[in-house]
Amino acid sequence: GDLVQSKKQWYQRRVRGYIEIGRVCFIRLGDDIGKSGVIVDLVDQKHLLVDGPDGIGRKVLRLNQVALTDIKINIPRGCKTKTVRTAMAKEGVEAKLAATSLVKKFAAKNAKAQLGDFARFKNRVAKTASNRKIRSTVRKLKKSS
Amino acid sequence: APDEIVAKSRFWYFLRQLKKVRKVNGEILRMTLVSNSSPTKIKNFGIWVRYDSRSGSHNMYREYRDVSTTGAVTQCYRDMAARHRARAHSIQIMKVEEVKAGDCKRPIIKQMHNSTLKFPLPHRIHKYNKKTIFV
Repeated sequence: GDLVQSKKQWYQRRVRGYIEIGRVCFIRLGDDIGKSGVIVDLVDQKHLLVDGPDGIGRKVLRLNQVALTDIKINIPRGCKTKTVRTAMAKEGVEAKLAATSLVKKFAAKNAKAQLGDFARFKNRVAKTASNRKIRSTVRKLKKSS
Repeated sequence: APDEIVAKSRFWYFLRQLKKVRKVNGEILRMTLVSNSSPTKIKNFGIWVRYDSRSGSHNMYREYRDVSTTGAVTQCYRDMAARHRARAHSIQIMKVEEVKAGDCKRPIIKQMHNSTLKFPLPHRIHKYNKKTIFV
């Protein structure tokens, strides 16, 4: 009884969002990595029909390729791309997506990967300078305490 | 079929069973790829299969959910290999038909016929490192 309840709570705490119609998802694997779409229908336990009207278009994706966001919009099952587009615009999905950590992290990672050698050098210099400052202040605090 | 050559071969295989004609005596006039009329609509497919097991030949009716006929048939081949160890050469797909949701028989397919279907992913494991462990 108690073990079952705690297991249930463990599961509930880990669940951020459900796989459901209207759930906005972020694509983390495959050709469309970094883009996002709305779940329009469910093919089976492992495949989704996802629609990103002006991005990926309408296609079937594996659950594996997708990360769920907190955003959910109200659309009927299997609706047309046009309906999805208007629903997304009404709920302001673009802005909400840009605020999600998934999108921000991906953008940051992407930007870092595309830095040139000079930019990486500049970053390294800045990092050593700030680290030096941090360590010296920590040493001073240790000495005074 | 995965390519034209296999397609032609299977064409003659099935035709020989139905009519008295062989590849030597016949001629394929045209081969076209039948395109999918609704690639973004999820459909339920009923597939009638005949396959040879180790001890005999059996008929089966199987159901799959997919976006295209070819996808459903591919699923069928994979499924038959997994569940019955049936290799492709011992499988004959007799009929593939799009089945309405109400006429589906298999519970695995019927469970998806719910307009408010939703489920969580409580124990999600991501495989980040795609490198092989052993060389």
